[in-house]
Amino acid sequence: MICYMNDRFERALEKVQKAPRYTGGEMNTTVKKWEDCPLHFGFCFPDTYEIGMSHLGLKILYGLINRESWSLCERFFMPWTDMMALMKEEDIPLLSMESRHPLNTFDVIGFTLQYEMSYSNILAMLQMGGVPIEGKDRGENDPIVVAGGPCAYNPEPLADFIDAFMIGDGEEVMIELNRVILERKEEGLSRAVCLKKLAGLKGVYVPSLYRVSYHNDGTVESVEPTCPEAPVSVVKRVVTDLNSTYYPEKFPVPYTEVVFDRIMLEIMRGCTRGCRFCQAGILYRPVRERSLMKLVDLAEKLQAATGYEEISLSSLSSGDYSCLPELIRELMKRMKEKRVSISLPSLRIDSVLKESLEETQQVRKTSLTFAPEAGTQRMRDVINKGVTEEDLLEKVRDAFEGGWSSVKLYFMSGLPTETTEDLDGIADLAQKVVAEYFNVPKAQRAKGLRVTVSTSVFVPKPFTPFQWAAQDTIETVLEKQEHLKQVLNIKGVTFHWHEPYVSFLEACFARGDRRMGAVLKKAYEKGCVLDGWNETFRFDTWMEAFRECGLDPAFYANRERAKDEVLPWDHIDSGVTKQFLWHEKEKSDRTETTKDCRKGCNGCGLQRWKGVCAYANAGGV
Amino acid sequence: MRMLAVFEKGERIRHIGHLDIQRSVQRGLRRSGLPVAYSNGFNPHILVTFASALSTGACGKREIMDVTMAEEVSEDIFLEAMNRAMPQEMQLSEARGVDRKHPSLPPLLRAARYDLLIREEKYAGKLIEAIPAMMARETIPAMRKTKTALKECDIKPLIYELKGAGKHIDALLVLTEREACKPGMLMEALCREAGIEEEVRVLITREALLGENAEGQLVPLESL
Repeated sequence: MICYMNDRFERALEKVQKAPRYTGGEMNTTVKKWEDCPLHFGFCFPDTYEIGMSHLGLKILYGLINRESWSLCERFFMPWTDMMALMKEEDIPLLSMESRHPLNTFDVIGFTLQYEMSYSNILAMLQMGGVPIEGKDRGENDPIVVAGGPCAYNPEPLADFIDAFMIGDGEEVMIELNRVILERKEEGLSRAVCLKKLAGLKGVYVPSLYRVSYHNDGTVESVEPTCPEAPVSVVKRVVTDLNSTYYPEKFPVPYTEVVFDRIMLEIMRGCTRGCRFCQAGILYRPVRERSLMKLVDLAEKLQAATGYEEISLSSLSSGDYSCLPELIRELMKRMKEKRVSISLPSLRIDSVLKESLEETQQVRKTSLTFAPEAGTQRMRDVINKGVTEEDLLEKVRDAFEGGWSSVKLYFMSGLPTETTEDLDGIADLAQKVVAEYFNVPKAQRAKGLRVTVSTSVFVPKPFTPFQWAAQDTIETVLEKQEHLKQVLNIKGVTFHWHEPYVSFLEACFARGDRRMGAVLKKAYEKGCVLDGWNETFRFDTWMEAFRECGLDPAFYANRERAKDEVLPWDHIDSGVTKQFLWHEKEKSDRTETTKDCRKGCNGCGLQRWKGVCAYANAGGV
Repeated sequence: MRMLAVFEKGERIRHIGHLDIQRSVQRGLRRSGLPVAYSNGFNPHILVTFASALSTGACGKREIMDVTMAEEVSEDIFLEAMNRAMPQEMQLSEARGVDRKHPSLPPLLRAARYDLLIREEKYAGKLIEAIPAMMARETIPAMRKTKTALKECDIKPLIYELKGAGKHIDALLVLTEREACKPGMLMEALCREAGIEEEVRVLITREALLGENAEGQLVPLESL
C-alpha cells in the first residue's frame, strides 16, 4: 500500500523531532488504492501538521473528495525546519501522509489560504514536491495548482504561483474543478485549454488570463481578461442550504495533540453583525444556519466516529444561532452519559445566555473569552462593534458569580482614528472587570482571579470598510504598546501583545498587488519560510527582499487609498458591493453605527442571491 | 470485570510516544461504544492501564491494555467492537475477561522478548558473531539512563537469552518495575564487543511481555 517508503525517509524520521507529524496512519483517514482512482488530489495545508489538522476546511474537503469514487485526496503539510533540512540533504521529496506519493505525482494540488504569513510555505512545499514554483514554468506533465480559502479573495500576490483560485464556499466548485482536471487527464487536454475551461467555471479565477496595468504612482490602472473564457468579474460561490451541503460524519483523529483536538460542529456560516474590521464577516455572508436536528445528528455521528471528549460549536458568532439554548440543551442531554463537554469558542459578549453558561459548566469549566475589540464606546462605534461596557460587565459578573475566575479579553490596537484615550479605555475596562470579581462575595466566587488582556495589531483587509485605511507604522505601534504596558500594570491582569513586524508584513500581503509575487519569491530564495512562527520569522530578510524588488512596503501597509483607486482585488466579487463598503467607511468616519442585519436589511449586495439571505430586502437601502 | 487485551503498535506509528498511545486507546474505547468504567471526578477518564510503556520508536506485537468494564462483556464482542474502533496500526488480537480483583499486571511483569532488526546489513554478521563472546564474559557493562545521569551497570544478569540469525537478533531481557535491560543498552554493549564504533540503526519490536507462573516458567503476562 505504501509505495514510497524508502530507507532514506525512515532514517530522516529517526532523526527529527516530532516524527508523528510525518507518519500518518491516523484513525478515519482514507487510503484509497492509487490505481483505482483516476484523479489524485493533493490537499496542501501550508503550515505544520498540528495547525493543519485543526482546520475544519481540510476535514470537509478531504471527506468530500474521497467520497467520489473517481477521486482520492491525500494530505500534505509543511515540514518543520529540521525535517526540511534532512529532506534536502537526503533528496527526499515532499510526500503525502497517506500513500507517501511525492507531490508532483498528483493531478491537482490544492492549497488552503488561511493567513498571509503562510505564503512562503506554499513556495517551499511546491519546490520540495518537485513542482515548478511559478505557473509559467509548469509543463504538460505538471499538476494544476489551485487554491481557495479566505485569502483567495485577494489572489494577486500569489498570481505567479497558483494556476486557479476558487472564490467562496468550496463544497460545490471543488468537485466541478476536479471534473475539469479529470477531463484534462483522460482526454489529454493541453494545460492552456484546461486553464481556460477552469476559468469558465463559476467562482474560479485563473490569474494568467488577466493583464494588470499600473499607473506611474504604482497604483493599479486596470485588470482585464485576455480571453473570452475569463469573466471580467469573478463572483464568489455560495452554497445556498447548509443542511443539504456535505459535512463529514467522521474526522481524522490525530495520535498526537494538535491545536484544536475536538469535534468542530459548524452551526452556521456568516455573521450579521457587520463589524467593520472583520473580513470574515463579509466573505462568509449571507448567514446560513444548519438545523438543530441536523446538528444533533452530526454531533452524535461524529462523536461515535472520533471518540472525542469535546464538541465545540463553530461559527463566526455562535451566540447568534437562532435556537442556541435548545441546541446546547439537546447536545448536553445526549452527550452527558458519554462524558463529552460542549464548548462555545467565539462567544460574543452580548449574546451569551446566562442559562447556557450554566449548562456549559455542567461538564467542564474553562476560561471565558470576550472580544470587546476596543476600549472606548467611541472606538467601538467606529468599528461597529455593537457592544457596550454595561453588556460586557454584566456578562463578566454573571461569569464570576457562576464560578469562573479566568477571563480573557481581546482588543485591537491601531484602529482608524484611535487616540491615547482609546488605549486608556482598554486599561479602564480591565480595571472594571477586576472590580466586578471583587464585588462578588468571597464565599461565592472561585479562587484565583486571572484576567488576560491581549491586543493585536490592526491589519486592514480587503473587502472591509477599512480596505482604504492606512495601517499604523511600526514606530507608532511600538509607542502605543509601550503606553499600554504602563497603563495595564494592574494587579490580577496579564497583558499580551503582538509584535508589530508580522502584522506589518501581513498588511502588505493582505492588500498587495501582483508585484508582491516577486517579493515573495525573493524572500523565499533568501530562506524565509514558516513566517507565522516567531522562531523562524526573519523580518530583516523580508525588508531586503522589498528593497531588491524596488517596492516599498509602506505603499501597501501604511498608505490611505483614495475612493476612486482601482484596488488590486476589484475584479473579485465578494457579494458585498464596493459601494456598500464605502458607505460603511463614511459612516465610520462619522462615528455612526450600522444595525445588525437581523434588524433589517442594510443592502450590502447579497440580495442578489434570492432567498439565500434570510434578512435580505430586495429593495435594498 | 476487567478485560486484558493484547494489541499491536505497528511499524508506521512506532514514533508515537506512550502518552499518545494511551490517549488513542482511550479514544478507541470511547468509539467502541463498549460499557467501560469511568473515573470519578471533574475530568472523568476511562479506567484503562497498560502493562508496560513502550519506548518511542519501538514497535509492539503483543502490548497489553487492562480495561475496567462497567458491565460484563464477552471477549468476542470486546474484540470485535475494538477492532472496528481502532486504527489499522493498533489492532487487537486477544482479549481475556478477568475478575475485578485480578492482580494488576505491572508488578507481575518479569521479562520481554524483543526482535532487533539490524537495518545496515554490513554490520549484521559482525554483531551476531559477537554474541557468544559477549555472553561468555563475567560482566557486561552498559550505561543506564536515570532521570538525572548516566549510570554504569552490569546487564549480564538481565539477559535471559540472546541469539541471532541473518539480520535479526532475538533477545529475552529482564523487564520488571524495578529493573530492565533496554534493547538500546544491549545494542551498545554488543557493538562494543563487535568493535563497531558507528551507530547501528536497529528496528526494535517488542514481541511479548512475560510473567512467571507457579512453576517459575516465563509465560505470557496476560495468561497469568
